Amino acid sequence: MMDSLSKRISASSRFFGSIFLALMLLFLSSCGQKSSGNGKSSAAMDSTLVIAMLGDADYLNPVLGSTVTSGNIIGLIYPSLLQSEFDTSTGLLNYLALGKKLRETAPGQAKKAPQGAIARTWTMSADHKTLTYILRNDAFWHDGKPVVSGDFKFTYKLYGDPVIASARQQYLAELVGADKGQVDFDKAIETPNDTTLIFHFYKPVPEHLALFHTSLTPLPAHQWENVKPAEVRHSELNLHPLGAGPYHLKTWQQQQQIELASSPKSTLPKPGTIPLITFKVVPDYTVRLTQLQTGAVDVVENIKPEDFKGLQQANPQIEVKTVGLRAYDYVGWSNIDQQEYRKSGRVKPHPLFGSTRVRLALTHAIDRESIIDGYLKQYGVLCNTDISPSLKWAYHNRIVPHAFDQAQAKALLAAEGWLLGADGILQKQGKKFSFTLYTNSGNARRNYASVVIQQNLRAIGIDCKLDVQESNVFFENLRERKLDAWMAGWAIGLEIDPLDVWGSDLKKSRFNFTGYQNPRLDQLCELAKQKMEVTGAKPYWLEYQEILHRDQPVTFLYWMQETQGFSKRIEGEELNISGTFYNIDDWRLRPSAHIAP
Amino acid sequence: MLRYIVQRLLIAIPLIFGVLTLTFFIIRLAPGDPAAFFIQPGISPNVADQIRAQYGLNDPLPVQYFKWLGNVLQGDFGRSFSRAQQPVVEVIASALPITMTIALLTLVANFTFGILIGIISAVRQNTFLDRFLTVTALFFYSMPEFWFALMMIILFALKLPLFPTSGLNEIGAEGFGPVGFVLDRLWHLVLPVTVLSINGAAGIARYVRGSMLEVIRQDYIRTARAKGLSENVVIFRHALRNALLPVITIMGSSLPFIFSGALFIEVIFAFPGMGRVTVEAIFSRDYPLIIANTFISGSLIVLGNLFADVLYAVADPRIKL
Repeated sequence: MMDSLSKRISASSRFFGSIFLALMLLFLSSCGQKSSGNGKSSAAMDSTLVIAMLGDADYLNPVLGSTVTSGNIIGLIYPSLLQSEFDTSTGLLNYLALGKKLRETAPGQAKKAPQGAIARTWTMSADHKTLTYILRNDAFWHDGKPVVSGDFKFTYKLYGDPVIASARQQYLAELVGADKGQVDFDKAIETPNDTTLIFHFYKPVPEHLALFHTSLTPLPAHQWENVKPAEVRHSELNLHPLGAGPYHLKTWQQQQQIELASSPKSTLPKPGTIPLITFKVVPDYTVRLTQLQTGAVDVVENIKPEDFKGLQQANPQIEVKTVGLRAYDYVGWSNIDQQEYRKSGRVKPHPLFGSTRVRLALTHAIDRESIIDGYLKQYGVLCNTDISPSLKWAYHNRIVPHAFDQAQAKALLAAEGWLLGADGILQKQGKKFSFTLYTNSGNARRNYASVVIQQNLRAIGIDCKLDVQESNVFFENLRERKLDAWMAGWAIGLEIDPLDVWGSDLKKSRFNFTGYQNPRLDQLCELAKQKMEVTGAKPYWLEYQEILHRDQPVTFLYWMQETQGFSKRIEGEELNISGTFYNIDDWRLRPSAHIAP
Repeated sequence: MLRYIVQRLLIAIPLIFGVLTLTFFIIRLAPGDPAAFFIQPGISPNVADQIRAQYGLNDPLPVQYFKWLGNVLQGDFGRSFSRAQQPVVEVIASALPITMTIALLTLVANFTFGILIGIISAVRQNTFLDRFLTVTALFFYSMPEFWFALMMIILFALKLPLFPTSGLNEIGAEGFGPVGFVLDRLWHLVLPVTVLSINGAAGIARYVRGSMLEVIRQDYIRTARAKGLSENVVIFRHALRNALLPVITIMGSSLPFIFSGALFIEVIFAFPGMGRVTVEAIFSRDYPLIIANTFISGSLIVLGNLFADVLYAVADPRIKL
């Protein structure tokens, strides 16, 4: 009886097994038909560039888009008033119109052709309060209508509308009326004819800043003029962006992919060289890496240094390119007693980190080089202050980094009264030198660094506990100045404007989490802002760096190169500190025959 | 039985509203701010306030609650904060079909293979086959899904490039024609469904084996055999039906899974399903979306339990509802 049953069961399992096999064969044959094993159908492969992205774009509307991905895609679809380029020999941003440049670039540095700009030229008035653009008349939206000065004025009204709440309203802060709380658009932006666009400022504005702030991306007024401000964020038009740039939106499958096609008639600067560009959402890092290896995607941003070797060994057709330095990590020490400040608003030095000497000792105690050697390797650079070595014109290259010197750290602490207790922990008037170092979850680099820091500090008798918080919670605690010590990072803008982070007015300086106060630093930032020529502020920035280096409001750890993985079938790409996709309209794809196995 | 079902459904209404109200307040108590993204250097401090005003977060909490309640009673769950202010219902409507496809395929595979393996192990108890199946099932059951998924990708997408690593369709799949498109979709579903169903089937097999072993020792099975019924009839008609009772409980509790999605699999295979919607909503403090998701999963848990209770009555006439 049991035998007949087992026969029956084995018969049925054979039956299911054969169905399973048949299905497998079906799948295999279907994949055999259309794939060369690289995850893309070969017909599509030669004409499509695939870029992996972590998450979907939020809005493909320049007024609303606020993520980096949105910005990258908007840059390809929409026209821009000026082209900008970053001069690596000086670290200065340059702005280009068709027939004018803000400054001459060193030979070999000018890489960006100005043909993408809508402005022919501009003039800044002698009092630095009026900026007049002359626009070209041969620029057209993808529906054939001309791009006119009215489009810019219309869009600036949207940027400034509180109901729309654009993240870029700060750009309008110098326009006439902004000093009184509300930009007066009729007076601030004039459009006497379709090719003249005039901006009026209420105060003198340095030319580079005026160009930066007036070159926000326009929307086609004729498409948007009937949309009420309250409806702008939900408008269907957001899903069908009408641009004028080298690409237009072909399909947008939300949370999956965004497909852009080259615009055959674009003159800004020209139709994109690669026919199709697909931005594909791949949330998991390991899977992004795998897809780069199999060739299913061509570009993956922010590859971790520990994966370079394996990646290049697995597929020699991949190269890792670096660009930087725009981002740094630091250990923040609360300079003020935050509990007291939150309770009474009074500023008292923090019991542990209130003294400059103690913070200096902590910097000496931390082996920053070993964090770089152990994790970032050649992609990290020791950080002295928040002015990046890439901003060569302002960078102070004679500052000597505080060396890793635990003996000196101990001496400094001893001078402050911190002496070793019986339990091996430093003590001062019965209080132990013990604190918790917080960081946000999900960051392998900061985890690595925090463990090194913990060991370094333990070696000089400081008890440092580690705690990882969910990112939302962590940043809220930072903003509310609830943490004594933490590890975080900043990505800097290419225009130096650090007052938000160090300003002495703790209510106004929302990102001064440490509570550091130094009136001279405030003064230097103000003086630098008043200079009409950016390089004229150099002496102020040098002094600024000396002060930060001396006061150590935080321990600056390291600058990081951004590391991007590229398939070698992409040609002509230039990475630039202003963005990975800075010249993507000039990229070419090598035909697959060259790399097919 | 109808009366019983209606009664249960009526009780469910205040229950679900209770859950939603709790969720409403709890997520607002959690640290973090839906407008936090707009608090960064270079963005005017006004922006976060304007955004909060748009979301209606500047009102006092009771006002927010009653406004929300009024909208929900009219079937309006509001607009998502984090997804370009898309209506929440649309966000869910676009994610649900994807999740349901994966989940239904998975459940069918789960129960088919789980029950089959369970029966074999039980009937051939203590043989090599049984031990082999038991050890294999435990091996897969105890493996974390995300790790298993990554291993499958490394094996079957990287080392042996048979299957795609992620996504629902090839780039350019629209050009394959309807049949090609569906085949392409199925081809993309092989790895994720395999991962999910091996894991699940292993668990179900353990349940079925246990309850089957108990059942085939019962007197009525001996009676059935004594009557001269064939072993197939005894196992499949008499024993299996009774042995499946605990499995029905699992089936009922699997219902929410069909709609809530499998987070790790969705993240790893880049499927825009409900799991990702929920977790991304939580991380970005997207209150309307969190509440709508809670509503769906809460309702389904209630319905799933009801469904299981009704199935009991169907499977076992001794159970009266």
